[in-house]
Amino acid sequence: MKLKMTKEWLMKNLDKEDKAIVSAGSFSCSKLDALDELVQRHAAKEVGAVVPAFGRLISLSRRNKGLTPEKLAEQARIDLDELVSIEQVPNYIPEPRTVCQLAQVLNLSEDKLMELSGNTVSRDQKLKDGAVKFVASAQSLDKLSRDEKRALEDFVKQLSK
Amino acid sequence: MTERSVAYLYHRQNKKEVEVVFIDGVDRTDVAKAQESWHKLLKDTKSEHAHWNWNEKYQLVAEAPLAYRIFGLEAEGQMQGLMLVWTAGKFCRIESQKGKPLIYIDYLATAPWNSADVIAEPIYAGVGKVLIRAAVQLSLEDELQGRIGLHSLPQAESYYRDNCKMTDLGQDKAYYGLRYFETTPEQSASFIRG
Repeated sequence: MKLKMTKEWLMKNLDKEDKAIVSAGSFSCSKLDALDELVQRHAAKEVGAVVPAFGRLISLSRRNKGLTPEKLAEQARIDLDELVSIEQVPNYIPEPRTVCQLAQVLNLSEDKLMELSGNTVSRDQKLKDGAVKFVASAQSLDKLSRDEKRALEDFVKQLSK
Repeated sequence: MTERSVAYLYHRQNKKEVEVVFIDGVDRTDVAKAQESWHKLLKDTKSEHAHWNWNEKYQLVAEAPLAYRIFGLEAEGQMQGLMLVWTAGKFCRIESQKGKPLIYIDYLATAPWNSADVIAEPIYAGVGKVLIRAAVQLSLEDELQGRIGLHSLPQAESYYRDNCKMTDLGQDKAYYGLRYFETTPEQSASFIRG
C-alpha cells in the first residue's frame, strides 16, 4: 500500500507543541506475561496476605495524601467502584491498567504493586512477610493513627528497595 | 513484500516538515534494528511500552501474513514508528457499526526519541497521526469504510479520544482493563479530511 498524504494535511492536523504519548496495544508491565496472565491470576489466589495488603496500602496511601476516594479515582482515571472494591474487598484483583494508574498517582513501585495486587506472582519472601505484618497491623480505617502511619511508611520503604 | 512511499513528519528542532519513508511490510532485519535501538533507550524508563518486543510481534506477521501487516516510518536511517495491524477477524463494538469488520491496531509505538515519556524534547512529531492515517487508508482500501479499532495504553487515552476524535467505548475488562477506541466511517472520513 502506498500512503496517500500531503505535507498540508500533516501541518493542518498537527499541534507542533503537542507531545502526546501515542502507544496502543497490550499492557506491558515488566513482569506481566500476557500469555500467562490467567495462570498467574489463578496462582495469585494462593498468595495469602499479599492481595489484602494491596487494598490496605492503597487506602492508607490515599488518606496519607488527604485524598477522598472520588478524588483519587479521578486523578488515576479509574472507576470509583473499582477503587472501592480494591480498598474494601480483601481478595479483589484489579485490572493491570488500574494498578499502574494508581502506582503513578501514589508514587509507588509499579512492579511491586503488580505483585501485591495479585496480577503477577510474588516470589519475594520479604515482600510477602512485610505484607503479612502490614495487614496484621490493620485497626480502624476511619483515621490514620500514628502506628498506621508508621506501618505505611515502613512498608512503602520496603517497596522502594 | 515491502512497498515504500513518501510520507511527512514534523521535525521539532528544525521547526519544519520533512519527507520520510512510509514502509508497508517492514522486514525482519529492520524490525530487529528498531527493536535493538529502541530497547537501549526504553529499558530503564517507565514508558508503558518499554517491554514490548517487536521481534516477537514480527513473528505474528511471519506466521500469519494474511492476518497481520506491519507498517513503519523511517527517517535518517532510523525507524521512527511501527504499527502492527490485524486485518481479519475483528469486529466493531460501536452501536451503529456493531458486528461489521474493522482494521484492528494491535500495536502502535513511536521511537523513544519521539516520545515525551522518554525524553524531554522529542524529535519528530506526527508519527501517531500518520500511522493512524495509514490504518484508516488500509481500512478504506479493504472496503471496511475506514473503520478502525484499538486498545490504548493509559498514557495515550486522551490522544485517541481528544486528538484523533475516536469514540471511547470504555474499559475492556477482558483486555487488561485498557480503554477501547473505535472510529465510524464518518469519523474516519473526518480524520482523513483533517
